Amino acid sequence: MMQNLPWLFLLLPLLAAALDWVLFSKCSKTAATLSILSAAATLALCVAYLAGLNTGAPDVYTWMPVAEERLSLHLGLLTDPLAMRMMLVVTGIGLLVHIFSLGYMKGDTSNLSRYFAGLSIFMFSMSCIVLADNLAMTFIGWEMVGFSSYLLIGHWYHKASAADAAKKAFITNRVGDFGFLIGILLTLGVFGSMNFADMAGKAAGIPAALLTATVLCLFCGAVGKSAQFPLHVWLPDAMEGPTPVSALIHAATMVAAGVYMLVRLQIAMGHAAFTDTACAVIASVGAITAALAALIATQQDDIKRVLAYSTLSQLGYMVMAVGLLAGEAAMFHLYTHAWFKALLFLGAGAVIVCCHHEQNIWKMGGLAKRMPLTVLCFLMGTCALIAIPGFSGFFSKEAILDAALEHCPVFFWVGAGVAALTTFYMTRLCLVAFCGSARAHGAEQAHEAGASMLLPLLILAVMAIISGYGFIADALVPYAGFEAHGFAVGLPFYVSLGSLGLGLVAALLVYGCGKRSSDPLAGNALSAALRERLYIDEFYDKVLIGGVQAIIAHIIEFIDAAIIRGLCVQGSAWLTSRFGLLLSKLQGGSLRAYTFLSGLGLLVLIILLAFNF
Amino acid sequence: MEEHISNLVSADYTWCQFCPTFALVILAALLLLTDAFLPKLPKRSLAIVAALGCLGTAGYLIADSGAPLTLLGVIACGATALSIMLAFDYKKITCDSVAGGDCEEGTGEFYTLPLVACAGILCLLQARDLILLFVSLEVVTLSSYVLAGYFRRNQGSVEAGIKYLILGAMSTGLLVFGAAWYFGTTGSFLLSFDTVQRAISGGTAASNAVVGGFLMANALLFAGAFFKVGAVPMHLWIPDVYQGAPTPVSTFLAVASKTAGFAVLLILIAPWMPFIIPGITVARLFVTVFAVVAAATLLIGNLGALTQNNAKRLLGYSSIGQAGFILVFFITPSAATPVMTAGYLLAYALATTAVFYAIAMVRTQRGSEEIAAFRGLGKTNPRTAFLIVVALASLAGVPLTLGFIAKLNSFVVLVNSMSLWGNLLILLPIMILCAAAGFYYYFKIIRAMYWDAPRPEDSPLQVPPTTGIVLSLCAIGLIVLGTLPLLLNW
Repeated sequence: MMQNLPWLFLLLPLLAAALDWVLFSKCSKTAATLSILSAAATLALCVAYLAGLNTGAPDVYTWMPVAEERLSLHLGLLTDPLAMRMMLVVTGIGLLVHIFSLGYMKGDTSNLSRYFAGLSIFMFSMSCIVLADNLAMTFIGWEMVGFSSYLLIGHWYHKASAADAAKKAFITNRVGDFGFLIGILLTLGVFGSMNFADMAGKAAGIPAALLTATVLCLFCGAVGKSAQFPLHVWLPDAMEGPTPVSALIHAATMVAAGVYMLVRLQIAMGHAAFTDTACAVIASVGAITAALAALIATQQDDIKRVLAYSTLSQLGYMVMAVGLLAGEAAMFHLYTHAWFKALLFLGAGAVIVCCHHEQNIWKMGGLAKRMPLTVLCFLMGTCALIAIPGFSGFFSKEAILDAALEHCPVFFWVGAGVAALTTFYMTRLCLVAFCGSARAHGAEQAHEAGASMLLPLLILAVMAIISGYGFIADALVPYAGFEAHGFAVGLPFYVSLGSLGLGLVAALLVYGCGKRSSDPLAGNALSAALRERLYIDEFYDKVLIGGVQAIIAHIIEFIDAAIIRGLCVQGSAWLTSRFGLLLSKLQGGSLRAYTFLSGLGLLVLIILLAFNF
Repeated sequence: MEEHISNLVSADYTWCQFCPTFALVILAALLLLTDAFLPKLPKRSLAIVAALGCLGTAGYLIADSGAPLTLLGVIACGATALSIMLAFDYKKITCDSVAGGDCEEGTGEFYTLPLVACAGILCLLQARDLILLFVSLEVVTLSSYVLAGYFRRNQGSVEAGIKYLILGAMSTGLLVFGAAWYFGTTGSFLLSFDTVQRAISGGTAASNAVVGGFLMANALLFAGAFFKVGAVPMHLWIPDVYQGAPTPVSTFLAVASKTAGFAVLLILIAPWMPFIIPGITVARLFVTVFAVVAAATLLIGNLGALTQNNAKRLLGYSSIGQAGFILVFFITPSAATPVMTAGYLLAYALATTAVFYAIAMVRTQRGSEEIAAFRGLGKTNPRTAFLIVVALASLAGVPLTLGFIAKLNSFVVLVNSMSLWGNLLILLPIMILCAAAGFYYYFKIIRAMYWDAPRPEDSPLQVPPTTGIVLSLCAIGLIVLGTLPLLLNW
């Protein structure tokens, strides 16, 4: 019995979601309480496990038994350090976001029960990914987080942009998921099992090309979920959802699921499975995403979009680290990033609410005076993000840069450049929004956020500062036997200090002390291109969707209309409905006809059975 | 002489086996007496006691269980209880259609007769010879005749009652005729392995005529069972009677009575099982007959449903179609057949009961049983609509509902038996076509609920508490067992 305690990680949020949806859809307070309680309970359970509670291996439930054992679908849970420490990030940030939501959604007219049910179903799905002991279960969780993300991005579904963004996120993810599914099936074929525990050591006897194909297909899933180039387009749009959702799903946890999955596979399959080609592709995709997103972020005016692109760029770092076979560094950065990026998003949420739902930084200004505590927390997050020595982000970024320098210096220099850009755009954001004087009415009336918002911010701010230090990181970074390696003053340290200084100085020179009322860099072709997200979205819309896809769609439409719909479906529907009509004719209600037909049928029966041998 | 006869029937029944039957009969008798001598007592109390009695018996059977046939008893008891509850949930209609107005007079039997029928079903499950089988089956049938025509002020109900009576009498006649042939060719009423073996090997007379006569006897007996389960060619009564009979009675007929039919079929084929192996001529005939019946039942039930607009009639065809999927288990019977049948019947019972409850609710408040009357429920009663969707989805066989697992089993059984009986391959496309057709006609109701806008005069339906609870429990059961199928231990 006790060994099945970890199943509560899945059952509690699922139960909360079901109750919210079914019973308490009209009383949002109860719904919110239930969701918060389930998040708190899972967090407590997780802390208990990290503190040494050991209940042995949970039972494996055979969901769909198939005669051939390896094809059966099993549901099993892993409680190793990688899973449990990841759960701490998920449930910890999850709980804080739940609490923050109370304040953020106060006065919102939409159905809050639906919102909290969405959060709980997300917690369920995310736990499913983290705890899964096989790829099939990972995939179930994978699709479920996609679904809950769809629900939450589109929470304000009456807004066309939110509904579109939800659709875009879902469909873009589907593209990646196709690859992921193929990858899972390839894994089943190549490794003979979907179970992580059974994959170890099997990579040695498998042809490199096959391994590369398998790993890259699985990587497709991560490209979609972790919003890597070229499928990154959905994440900035996903900011249409409520800000706490952006913090939880689109910054701290779900988007990191791709990285988590890759690291999980890297451990299960062994580094041998990640061939050089596969690694090169993964690292390059990560580096390209990091660089592109950081560039675009420099010219965004919406506070949440700046943070969204910054998330993309940081995810790029992590994926790059995975490609460099430095899973440890990737998970370290995932872990610190989760805390400080959640902090930044929640801080942004507090700012947005206090400025009466204004998201344009050029319409803020002077907020440091009006909401000092919130801004201070936000600055802590910024310091961690731009990797000021002593803050958590610094340690994890150093770890990645070290790994890059060791494996492939090109990626090191890309990383350093991205670090400079990061410093630039975050300093720009802070200068414009918090310094100077208010540029719009909303910002003039801003005031400190309420307690339910401030408390999570403070906790997260503390984590953003201290989570990188060895004493706490060693215990909490989701990686078995993680050790924060003492950092030595060397080339990487000087380079990152240099890029930090470069970014800071450049931003200060351009934006001064926030006195300007418009962006001095705007107005030229480069800025326009960056503002238009380098025309990637437009390229997808016009060329891929409007052009290529439209042509294919026309051809398929023809096949569909003429052959499938016309001949097969409508033809067979016509035939069957004729048959149905004929049957109804027989079923005319006349008793005599009924007895006659029954007798006839009986005769056939008797002839078949008794007169036929 | 007396001893001789008792040998012909069976000597190994014990009183103990019939305890649940007696309990229900005694309860029914008590309730009838109460109804007669305490006319002032509200009939609702009778209904509640009757329903609780059924549920209690079901609980006893679950605890006592072991044999797969007992599972059928549990389903039958549960379904009877639910039909009784449905009847008193819509007491007003019952009163209005029986005595007119709000007068409760003469409605007492409507709540107690299902108990008698249920007792008959429980007795039937214990039968291992044709006499007891026939008598207990008649107990079920006779009470059903009365129930189907109970709403004497409602023309549809009267018509249904008469049609059911006449066609039912025919099937009873076939059953008796079959029993006579059975006795004539084997010299025994016992449904046992020995009897079948003696007959098939030619018996003492060692002639083909004996085997032929024995097979004919079985054809007639099967036909009697086919009437109850609604298999072709004895299915013709179903759409008319389900549509005309009072909705609680339709529910009873569709679930409990059908369960009884499958129990009869299971009892009849049990002695056959060892003989259904390739190479035996009789086995080939048996498989052919059941394959033909299953195919015809599938086609007629599912394709006939396509053009229906009346929800109750649609469920009638659906019950024929679902019986077709269950009959697939019987083509090559094995030790697993009773369990599979019970599992499928459970899925069918939960979903069908839920839909009948929904129909009763819509019928009383919107005044129509047409599918169109479900219009806009998705808007006006989103939660109830969702529960109905679950039930319909399960009937259609959508994954993550119990109906999917049940249908999957049906396909798996067919595919497995194809390795021995290659010709059964023909059945596969028929099953696929019929499963697809199911999606079309069950989703017609879903389409009406979500795609048709409610009319201005449509107010949200008032969901009576019993209906709400039953719908929720059925939907939860379907989803939970559908996602965790191993709970059932198939």
